[in-house]
Amino acid sequence: MLRLIATRFALGILTLLAVSVLIFICTQILPGDVASAVLGQQATPESLRVFRAELGLDKPAYLRYLAWLLGVLHGDFGKSLTNDRVIIEELAPRFVNTLFLAGYAAVIAVPLAVGLGILSAIREGRLTDRLANILTLIAISVPEFFVAYILIIIFAIQLGWFPSLATVDSDMGLGTRLYTAFLPALTLTMVVMAHMLRMTRNSVLSIMSTPYIEMAFLKGLTRSRVVAFHALPNALGPIVSVVALNLAYLVVGVVVVENVFVYPGVGQYMVDAVAKRDVPVIQACGLVFAAVFVTLNTVADILAMLANPRLRRRR
Amino acid sequence: MNTNSGIRGSSLIVDRRELLAGAAALGLGLSASGARAADTPKQGGTLRLGMEGGSASDSLDPRTYADSIPISYGWQLWNGLVEIDEKGDPSPELAESWEAKPGAVEWIFNIRKGIQFTSGKTLDADDVIYSLNMHRGETKSGAKDLMAGIADVKKLGPNQIQITLSSGDAGLPSIFADYHILIVPNNYTDFSKPDGTGAFDLEHFEPGVRVLTKRKSGEYWKTGRGHFDGVELRYIPDSAARAQALISGQIDAGNRLDAKTVSLVMRAPTVNVVRTKGTGNRFAWVAHCDTAPYSNLDLRLALKYGIDRKKIIDNVYKGFATMGNDTTVAPSQKYFAKDLPQRPYDPDKAAFHFKKAGVSGADLNLEVSEGAFSGATDCAVLYQEALKKAGIALNVKRVSGDGYWSNVWLKDPFCAVYWGGRPSADNQLAQTFLSNANWNDTNWKRPEFDKLIMSARAELDEKKRGQMYADAQKMIWEDGGMICFAIGDYLDGYSKKVKGTAPHPHYDMCDQRIAEKGWFA
Repeated sequence: MLRLIATRFALGILTLLAVSVLIFICTQILPGDVASAVLGQQATPESLRVFRAELGLDKPAYLRYLAWLLGVLHGDFGKSLTNDRVIIEELAPRFVNTLFLAGYAAVIAVPLAVGLGILSAIREGRLTDRLANILTLIAISVPEFFVAYILIIIFAIQLGWFPSLATVDSDMGLGTRLYTAFLPALTLTMVVMAHMLRMTRNSVLSIMSTPYIEMAFLKGLTRSRVVAFHALPNALGPIVSVVALNLAYLVVGVVVVENVFVYPGVGQYMVDAVAKRDVPVIQACGLVFAAVFVTLNTVADILAMLANPRLRRRR
Repeated sequence: MNTNSGIRGSSLIVDRRELLAGAAALGLGLSASGARAADTPKQGGTLRLGMEGGSASDSLDPRTYADSIPISYGWQLWNGLVEIDEKGDPSPELAESWEAKPGAVEWIFNIRKGIQFTSGKTLDADDVIYSLNMHRGETKSGAKDLMAGIADVKKLGPNQIQITLSSGDAGLPSIFADYHILIVPNNYTDFSKPDGTGAFDLEHFEPGVRVLTKRKSGEYWKTGRGHFDGVELRYIPDSAARAQALISGQIDAGNRLDAKTVSLVMRAPTVNVVRTKGTGNRFAWVAHCDTAPYSNLDLRLALKYGIDRKKIIDNVYKGFATMGNDTTVAPSQKYFAKDLPQRPYDPDKAAFHFKKAGVSGADLNLEVSEGAFSGATDCAVLYQEALKKAGIALNVKRVSGDGYWSNVWLKDPFCAVYWGGRPSADNQLAQTFLSNANWNDTNWKRPEFDKLIMSARAELDEKKRGQMYADAQKMIWEDGGMICFAIGDYLDGYSKKVKGTAPHPHYDMCDQRIAEKGWFA
């Protein structure tokens, strides 16, 4: 078991390394370079040349990659090319904000989605099931910025209960933070619910058609007991992985929501960096995002193995 | 004028020139600022600004400034030598006075005495020379081209410098009003710790999120300025979010309100919308005058007559723009060629010139992108329709906004561009239309034009000078490759508590100096 976990872990590291190469290559392919992007419409050939030399963009790509990787291994992402600020100092508070928002949304969304999913499975085809499905599907079918604006109109403008600007900062206490970030968290909750709810419902239902469940019913158990104690443990694998995917999405895919609520997360930071070709920042954000993805998936794999002994013995 | 007066509603819109005209008509003889002085400024409060025009990659180094947010915090922390006043003329800031020797080649600038930087250092000529030199020679500064005409900067005394130009330029003071050219202490390099003469000190700098400044203790050296205790500038790039924040009172002021929704913002009882007509971005198509088929003057004329400016302004800008007259000089600018007729939409003339050009087989491709300016695609489609009426087929090619300025603009023979306002008509014309300008995006090279601009610069007689700039605009109007169809209005939103928000002919948000100019009622 330990060996399996270690293998997963090593694979994760290897994936990250491969991703780092990919990120580096992709940032090289982008049209234009940081000098022309920063100076924008004000660029002149001479100012471009001076800026490029200052940034070290005249060195070959593989040398720049190796130097960067060495720095990252020492916990140093370098300095932003555009404004000369230390990336890790800019990135860390934003990453904390992103994790906070993702955690906030997850704490609401995961129990709600899994609970409602199980409820839907128990009451398959009845009103609760239909309603839960329809509502979450509507929420996921409209673009997230639309959900966000609707929530702003209702809760920020009409009712005035919550602020539409969710700019959290480090001086805020937890209570204020939770209050300020409520609307983006609610938006994200609505966006990720459907996926998890339907996966929970369907994987529970597919187990429901197996012979051992029929046996449980024949023993005279109630439907809710069969679902909760007989079907759910076996359905956990797919549920855990879809939850992990959604958590990863909450961390890496929320730039639109950040933008609408002016939430200072990593997403907007990365978008700004891409627009300005600030390569070290793009690489740092990319790597952090990849690390989140890999970690969550590794954890999901391990959890699935713990929940289902068959996965452990397969090889 | 193309104002959409139907939606003015209850909110107050002040147009600078209307206000001036009104005051003059009443024989009050008051300037816009004089009329407002009755409202005595009060000290105190934190101004909460919510702005677009910046990103997480912003820096404090003035050489890298290129958008509204850095310009705003730049003028909170530092000062320039010269400021543009509400009439559009250069007025003293850190330079107390100046004087040009005949021919306008040699200039003397007297530096204000007794001004202190945050560090306690007293401003002197060396600081000014160092600051000017940051933008000269090998530099990444965006003001490099503006400063290219300076041959030498010399110290004459502790508070006096002499500037020698390579050729006469009576408009030099306006150049020093540029937002890049901020005055820093001599040998100053660490821009992360700003040391300026402005009304505010930096408290917190988090580019892409917020910038906090605090009023310096004691008197600000400018009388009647610096009334807020502090400024909280937040980055709110989403225009809908900015408008909501303004309406719900989470910010006191917001820039660049969306013309499409500004009528809704005006309805909010707590919000004041300040509109500055025809001073915003100049929206244009640019054709390379040295590339076939655009090298044909008749084709260029056909393309100019074939655009329905009014329709574009009414539809894309909802009336919040002024017609462009094929140069980048705006009607609000001094030396704007008033006598030059506005080019109309005339499909017959367009068809006539098109036939005369004899290029009917040629492919006319206009490359546009939302990265050039927002609404560019809509404008291009309306242009395509308008040209159709003249029997001219135009292909509109939409390209990615990513990398637009490095890959398309200046390279593609016919594409979209916007130009921001500059301190003077001369800067405006020089940076785009001189033969040796790096940003000559029409490849329009006319030695006569260069000569005209050079002699206008050296001409100290106002009247003659104005005539020369008017002639220069006429040349571009007749012969150039720029189809400048609209000049946007600046639309600022303020909470009604904020006073001192008069429109300014240079930039929006009171020339981006609302932080030092405004106060709370």
